[in-house]
Amino acid sequence: MLDTAKTRWHPVAATYDLPFRHVFHAQLLGREFAVWRADDGYVNVWENRCLHRGVRLSIGINDGRELKCQYHGWRYSNRTAGCTYIPAHPADAPARTITNRTFAAVERYGLIWSAEEPQGEVPELPGLAEGELLTLRGIPVNAPADVVAARLEGYRFQPNGRTDGSDAKVSVEASNEFSVALRAVDGEASTLAVFFVQPVDSNRSVIRGVLDGKVEGAVRLAVLHHHNDLLSKLRDIAEHEAQAQPVPAPLEPVIDRVSPELAEMPEETKHGRKATIRVEVARKWQAADGIAGFELRPIKGLLPTFQPGAHIDVHLPNGLIRQYSITNGPGESDSYIIGVKLERDSKGGSTCLHETVRQGDVLAISEPRNNFPLRRDAMKTIFVAGGIGITPLLAMAQALSNQSLNFELHYFAQNEAQLAFPEKTACLGTSLKPHLGLSPEQTGARLREILSGYRSDAHLYLCGPGPMLEAARHVAAEAGWPETAVHFEYFKNTNVIDDSSSFEVALARSCVTLKVPAGRTILDVMREAGIDMPSSCEQGACGTCLATVIEGEPDHQDVYLNDAERKSGTKIMTCVSRAKSARLVLDL
Amino acid sequence: MITLYDYELSGNCYKLRLLMGMLGVDWTTVPIDFYPGREHKSEWFLKINPLGQLPVIEDDGLVLRDAQAILVYLASKYDAVGTWYPRDNPALLGEIGQWLAFADGITGTASAARLHDALFYDFDVEAARAGAHRLFRILDEHLWFGEQEGRDWICSASHPTIADIACFPYIMLSEEGGVPRQDYPAIRRWCDRVKRIKGFTVMSGVFPAGPAKAA
Repeated sequence: MLDTAKTRWHPVAATYDLPFRHVFHAQLLGREFAVWRADDGYVNVWENRCLHRGVRLSIGINDGRELKCQYHGWRYSNRTAGCTYIPAHPADAPARTITNRTFAAVERYGLIWSAEEPQGEVPELPGLAEGELLTLRGIPVNAPADVVAARLEGYRFQPNGRTDGSDAKVSVEASNEFSVALRAVDGEASTLAVFFVQPVDSNRSVIRGVLDGKVEGAVRLAVLHHHNDLLSKLRDIAEHEAQAQPVPAPLEPVIDRVSPELAEMPEETKHGRKATIRVEVARKWQAADGIAGFELRPIKGLLPTFQPGAHIDVHLPNGLIRQYSITNGPGESDSYIIGVKLERDSKGGSTCLHETVRQGDVLAISEPRNNFPLRRDAMKTIFVAGGIGITPLLAMAQALSNQSLNFELHYFAQNEAQLAFPEKTACLGTSLKPHLGLSPEQTGARLREILSGYRSDAHLYLCGPGPMLEAARHVAAEAGWPETAVHFEYFKNTNVIDDSSSFEVALARSCVTLKVPAGRTILDVMREAGIDMPSSCEQGACGTCLATVIEGEPDHQDVYLNDAERKSGTKIMTCVSRAKSARLVLDL
Repeated sequence: MITLYDYELSGNCYKLRLLMGMLGVDWTTVPIDFYPGREHKSEWFLKINPLGQLPVIEDDGLVLRDAQAILVYLASKYDAVGTWYPRDNPALLGEIGQWLAFADGITGTASAARLHDALFYDFDVEAARAGAHRLFRILDEHLWFGEQEGRDWICSASHPTIADIACFPYIMLSEEGGVPRQDYPAIRRWCDRVKRIKGFTVMSGVFPAGPAKAA
């Protein structure tokens, strides 16, 4: 009988069970849930199990935006339950497959409703009006749901305001195997009580009652006590009855390995750059002088999990593809917010977004990729943003701020009007340090101040225009910052690409050898041979098409790798870089 | 300075560390090898506490045993503000005394089940667990109605008292004795509140809570 109930909505918690930054421990039909409300109000119902070591997430920490496992600190995002950070791998972006199982969550009648495989909507209850009702204390009972439901049909109570009396007429208005609606009438007074029996396990239930009509103050407390006393008695009787029966075996929920959607290999397409997500421009506004803000909401479902530093490809109506960093803080998972600067020498990307794309338009975007991951194990983190370079660093700064970690965000701009997303930066307090109207020389001097006194537990993140990045990397190197502590992201690759060489590429895993002629890229040639390599900017800036070099000497032409990575000769950006040797063996 | 005869895994010793931490009192520790050494039953220790139980403190020449009694002493002596054990409020003192006795009940049940499971004590574990559930049901109901009346703590005060500290450890450690707290959501919320008291410290098996709402 209980199996069929998997498709039926059940209450699993009450609204009062989800106070600020708490994680409620729920269970339905043997399956445990970690239920938590994020600061934005969203109610998460998740498998109660960290994907790492299986520890219950209900003992984890709700920081308002993410849920952190108590055991090894894995962090999962509000809404998507995607992992955003693994402390043991501080330099890496967690794989998208590390996404916990989520369940439906609907808040209605002062209760949180869920189901394993819900069909239809949460039942409409005639007679119960939202905001005009009283949710009773949930009563856990060590008895099967059907035993409890049968007892509830005989439940006798007094209507609100008449709880002193004892002679109300009670009638059953409706009932099914998991709920009973009763009405008590005493003279003028009449109260509808609807009881839901939450099947926790084969031998455990919770009685969740809702009364119509709003009562206040002492009457409210009297009503709550009245039902609590009566339901406790009913509980004792039901438990006594259940004890006389043989104890049924506990239900054993099946724990999914990973959702089929995530486990599935992506579809093969001719073009390597995929835009599988459709979003609506929910809002377009001026985020600063010359910078347009776009809020992109999914047409259906949830957006994939992002991590600070991640970017998306935006496929524009004019056919161009551009990359934009996600500026959202942690857990802000209902939309992506990007900032687009109108470039004077725009080749059509920023102009299109500024002039053509309007609120309400639909855009195709890629899943977020994170080639600029943020470590959260530094004792001090310095962010240096130049102009629109603020966007990835803003997401990072918000993540550190949310965890009360130590950071400074140095934001270089021409003037105050050019400081983007003031509503977001305002939340960063004194960690935000604007530097306005400085000449290149003054900027260099300021960077020397900021980057002096390197300490071994510090990390530096840079994003801005090319010349400023070069200057900052130079200053950092002079000040003793090792390359491993300096992380950067260029907007674009301004190197002149020399594609005159021709060479051979051997793909070790695929057992394929390809010829790359002058004028074509490794990426192109691989795609033509049917090898599906992810890519994004295709100009050597974003880091998406990175491959590992096993043998041969790369001819680096990108701006993604740092000098140490280049010298090591073990990595290559396949969209622009080539080979100095006649043959290159890649780990693909 | 206060000397605490301490065992790291003892919830009753943890109560004192907890309160002393919250009061900002310094102390030194004499570690007692409770398990497997049974040092609390050794000849030298029985001279300090003939009951052979932890914890014991020494302070200014006073030797005091019994966790609840020591909480009363520490709060009376070291709480400058006087909220943990408000000596000028008889009704509240009565309530605190009532819940200190309740805490002893928790020790006799939830802690006994834990000793059985973790340290192999020869107790009737089913009886201990059933007793713990009976007490937890009572406390959960009490705390739930407290929340409805705007009361966050065990006693009728706008601030925590030593009753909260006395009850907290063996509730928080109950899972180690096979007593889940899933059916006691109001207790679970109260545990979060205790963990957010300034000066809160953890022990093995007790985890911190997330950050509370910014003041």
